[in-house]
Amino acid sequence: MKRPRKRHDGTAGPAERPADRLADRLAGRKVLVTGATGFVGEALLHRLLTQVPGVTIAVLVRPKGTDSGVSRIRALVQKPIFAAAVEAAGGVDQLLDGRIEVVEGSLSDPPTLPTDLDAVVHCAGDVSFDPPVDQAFATNVVGVRNLLRQVAEVGPQVHYVHISTAYVAGRRKGPVPEGPVDQSVDLAAELSWGTAQRDVVEQRSRDAGRLARLRRKAEKAHGRAGMLAAAQAVEEDRRAWVNEELVRAGTERARALGWTDCYTFTKALGERVVESHAEHSPVSIIRPSIIESALQTPHPGWIEGFKMAEPLILAYGRGELPEFPAAPDTIVDIVPVDHVVAAVVAVLAEPREPGRPEWFHVSSGARRPLTFRQLYGGVRDYFDRHPFELGDRGATRLPEWHFPGVQAVERLLVTSERAHKVADYLVDHAPRADRTRDLARKLDRQRGRLEFLRRYLDLYREYAQAELTFSDTNTLALYRRLTPQDQQDFCFDAAVIDWDHYLGEVHCPAVTEPLRQYDVVRRQRRASATNAPVPLTGEAVDGVAAFFDMDGTLLSSNVIETYLWMRLQEMGPSERFAELTRIAARVPGLVRAERRDRSAFLRSIYREYAGARMADLDEIADDILTSHVLSRVSPAAVRRVREHRAAGHRTVLITGAIRPLTRALRPLFDHIEAADLAVDDRGVCTGFLEASPLVGESRAAWLRHWAAEQGIDVARSFAYADSQSDLPLLEVVGHPVAVRPDTTLFRHARKRRWPIVDWSSPTVASRSLAPAGEYG
Amino acid sequence: MSRPGFVLEVDDRTPPLVVHEGEGFRLETFPLGTRVIYPPESLPAVPDVDQAIQHALRNPEGSDPLPELLFPGMRLTVAFDDLSLPLPPMRSPDIRQRIIEAVLTMAAAAGVDDVELVAANALHRRMTAAELKHIVGERVFRSFFPQGALYNHDAEDRSNLTHVGLTDQGEDVEINRRAAESDLLVYVNVNLVAMDGGHKSVPVGLASYKSLRHHHNSKTMVRSHSFMDHTKSHLHHSAWRMGQLLKEHLNIFQIETTLNNEVFPAPYDFLMKREWEWSIKDQGSMLAARRALSLAPARLRHKMFHDLRAPYGLTGVHAGDTEQVHEKTIAAVHRQQLVEVHGQADVLVMGVPYLCPYNVSSTMNPILATCMGLGYYFNSYRGQPVVRRGGAVILYHPLKPDFNQLHHPSYVDFYEEVLAESTDPAVIEAKHEQNYAADPWYVHLYRTSHAYHGVHPFYMWYWAAHAMDHVNEVIWVGADRRAVQRLGFRAASSLADALEMASDTVGRSPSITYLHNPPHLLADVR
Repeated sequence: MKRPRKRHDGTAGPAERPADRLADRLAGRKVLVTGATGFVGEALLHRLLTQVPGVTIAVLVRPKGTDSGVSRIRALVQKPIFAAAVEAAGGVDQLLDGRIEVVEGSLSDPPTLPTDLDAVVHCAGDVSFDPPVDQAFATNVVGVRNLLRQVAEVGPQVHYVHISTAYVAGRRKGPVPEGPVDQSVDLAAELSWGTAQRDVVEQRSRDAGRLARLRRKAEKAHGRAGMLAAAQAVEEDRRAWVNEELVRAGTERARALGWTDCYTFTKALGERVVESHAEHSPVSIIRPSIIESALQTPHPGWIEGFKMAEPLILAYGRGELPEFPAAPDTIVDIVPVDHVVAAVVAVLAEPREPGRPEWFHVSSGARRPLTFRQLYGGVRDYFDRHPFELGDRGATRLPEWHFPGVQAVERLLVTSERAHKVADYLVDHAPRADRTRDLARKLDRQRGRLEFLRRYLDLYREYAQAELTFSDTNTLALYRRLTPQDQQDFCFDAAVIDWDHYLGEVHCPAVTEPLRQYDVVRRQRRASATNAPVPLTGEAVDGVAAFFDMDGTLLSSNVIETYLWMRLQEMGPSERFAELTRIAARVPGLVRAERRDRSAFLRSIYREYAGARMADLDEIADDILTSHVLSRVSPAAVRRVREHRAAGHRTVLITGAIRPLTRALRPLFDHIEAADLAVDDRGVCTGFLEASPLVGESRAAWLRHWAAEQGIDVARSFAYADSQSDLPLLEVVGHPVAVRPDTTLFRHARKRRWPIVDWSSPTVASRSLAPAGEYG
Repeated sequence: MSRPGFVLEVDDRTPPLVVHEGEGFRLETFPLGTRVIYPPESLPAVPDVDQAIQHALRNPEGSDPLPELLFPGMRLTVAFDDLSLPLPPMRSPDIRQRIIEAVLTMAAAAGVDDVELVAANALHRRMTAAELKHIVGERVFRSFFPQGALYNHDAEDRSNLTHVGLTDQGEDVEINRRAAESDLLVYVNVNLVAMDGGHKSVPVGLASYKSLRHHHNSKTMVRSHSFMDHTKSHLHHSAWRMGQLLKEHLNIFQIETTLNNEVFPAPYDFLMKREWEWSIKDQGSMLAARRALSLAPARLRHKMFHDLRAPYGLTGVHAGDTEQVHEKTIAAVHRQQLVEVHGQADVLVMGVPYLCPYNVSSTMNPILATCMGLGYYFNSYRGQPVVRRGGAVILYHPLKPDFNQLHHPSYVDFYEEVLAESTDPAVIEAKHEQNYAADPWYVHLYRTSHAYHGVHPFYMWYWAAHAMDHVNEVIWVGADRRAVQRLGFRAASSLADALEMASDTVGRSPSITYLHNPPHLLADVR
């Protein structure tokens, strides 16, 4: 995406004295910037490099993974917006050598700063509104304190410019002056409470009662996949709980003290730290409101990452935001990022005296207020002109907001959440079918939307209702002190903003662009994706195997059905009736058992074989079950097995069913792992198995063991299965395929982008209990 | 006295006519002037079947009487046609049962105790015990089946095949070892249509793929005009050469039977009558059947049709030397089925019913429906095809792509893999036949389960090769569109639309002929 870039040549107009220009005033200075890789930091770096040629910039960067600080900055200046600066310097290396000094280190333990610093701009911070409380304190309070300690080491003359937020004012109403936050919080006490929370919550999360509850829930949901899978789920749930609890603790504490959330609360406490530093050093505190895409510089609409309003704008454009809990006349205080950065540069250029810190609100509410209604109108207008065309169904229908008030929106959301919960329960317990899977897919999308709504509505409710006006007298005075040329080049007067233009031509196009591009990519992918498993062509390869589950994957049959087939053959009509009745009465219990634990279920079914002669079972299997099985085998499944064989792969059948039932499929497989019924010395089944049936995790373990023994490379191997209990099996191999999956496996497969195939079995197969047909 | 077949010309007094389409039928109004070929009415049956059998066995054509061919210590094998004949299956007792019982009684009287019964199913599926029992009857089944002396021919059991030799044209003759090594091979046939019997019995029914491939291929089939006339069928010429070779090596006593046209039992007998002659009762039955079929779920509809057993009557039984017997047989078949038709038509219309030789107690899949329509029905002519070269064929059948996985496993793959690639019989034959014929999985299923041989779907496709070669346009009415497309044909929703589509080939006012079968008919096109 190319946009015309405005060139700045930095020359002063003839009427101005050179010394008045910001660039000249800052010439020869050295400024340390933290958070240069963030949104504001990057814009500031760009501004300084392109428009303030005389300044040297030191950046404090933390190494990330294997990337050192230097390489991160190198990557940063290779972004398109820095192209002009790189070109002017004659290359990336020259730019880095001449203008940028990289100081490696993090705020948790800041390194010694260069001794020739003139100023420090602290842009780094946690921008999330709902961080875990310990993290919020670490960045917004401890980080600031650590940095200031190092700044003090350099000397008391260093001008410290602190980027805060206008919302440190908390849940006040009315005008907010540019001055210290009126607060009586015990900083030390809150700090020690905040930093201790992680330990406290971690301790609580390990409480036996809580773990037991989590385990019961996990075993109910994942028990079929095995205890390890359940344990994994317990640990995941516990971690998620710790995080939620830390977020909740922060929010609640913040609200108890009069702030909207933990972010503004800790930001306010951060200002307290800065205020005490200001007693003997020059300090400026800049409080932007909601920072959004650039109005002019680097180019109109420049934005990095997702900020506060974008998710809402995008959700609205997708038709997923039916209503919003705001009053239509509430003022939304948005400010373009280039205004914030320009204000920072202007502040840097002004001398500041120790003991007399200054506050600057960089905001729009006072000079050019934007009401919620206007914002809604602007966004709606934009999408009316440029609708999203998601998928191939034409333009998305845009919801019409009526601003019914917070309570009504909340009620709507709660009702939807309840309905979703009920539907989800039903889908989870419904028998598997194409329709169920389709419902599950729709519900998942619905859940995504509801969770999104819940999170953002909770988060923004406070802001949407804020009735604050940030006074910007200081900022305006600062602006007015600039030369006319600088007022153009470094504009931060909100009065220049035309909201309709900004929303319709600058901001909305910028934030929707990535999604539109993604949509094109997705459409191409959808056009090419068949969601079919890897085709098996090419020459035969060694060391690859394909593992197939039997019931439900290869054929549409189940253990109860096959049991009846076998046993009923030996019985007379009246016995048959009795047996059918007896089994029918047991079915609900068996189904429950199957949901809970498949191996227990199998054992209880196999007990029914007690007293049968093994030889008879084999004979029945050959005479009758072969036809039963073969007429239920899915043709596509058999084709796939045969393709694997043709490709030189070893084919393996894994089943919890007893061995006689697999006889019909023997020629298709190199190995069949089935349950063996134990027999006594007369050849009569005892009703027990020789070994535990192979289900759930034991399948995965068996597969690994067998593969190692046979020299099979599991990463190149395939597995095909249909139910949640086969998840461990599928996880082991490199090419898992879900076959007509149950809802849980279906969801998992979609998430992991596993191929899902629909190997349906013939529907016309005879179901009568006289498989030879009633011929004659 | 039964009336001969005739050709009706549709005029404004003609009522809508029955057209079969799978498990159902419709009443279709044909354009004025359409010629409708009706088969002759059912001939009277032989009054005393057992006496007729005894007479045939004791007074054979070109052979000594059967009792004189039997002697103690001999090896006797009785082979018989499998469940693909007759269609629909015959109401018990099956004619084969009565003949086999007579043969076995004579054998017992002659002190023969080495007797085996082999179903001549070639590459057809193994019959189940119940199906065998239906053909040979309870008594024979009970005495032979448990001892393993009544079984299906296994064309893949190398140890039980004998390569008898090569014909003068280099064709392999390989048949069932037991049959080849018997002192006498008695073959019991049901000659439903003119294609059956003669040397198509032993050299085909008891053969292996190695032998069958010489005549079951696209080249031969395209040149068989038609395969319902053995004198003009390359398929039969090859079988005849094989039969003559076999005659030099073993004693074959051929018994052929012919049936009348009683294919539909009451209350479906209205389907055999001419529509304008339907009585009140027939009309009532027709309405009831249509209502029932429209309400019945697929499974029940399938059962309604597949449980039908035809009350066939025997019109003749002949025994002795294969060729002499077959001559008499064919004459009998012609008496029952031949209809004289003058001139070819631009458009041939056929209704494909629910049953073909290969879906007894099974599913009529699209490949079988094609074989039935473009194979058997299209070839039901003598002289020249009912439709002119370059004409159009319109068929009725739902063509649901449902397959019986037990009986037709290779058909599914043929449909999904082979037809998806090409529908040209010659191309298919060259590229895929060998793979399917030799595939160990299909062989395994053919031998141990109840599956047609892997190569069988190819034969079905070759069966239709002559029709595909002869006409320019094949249009299916009321068929599954995706299946029609897969098969390489075109689909229409009504006869009017089909004629509209065919108008590019045959013009706006084509001559149309509708083949009103079943019951079976053979058009003698002059």
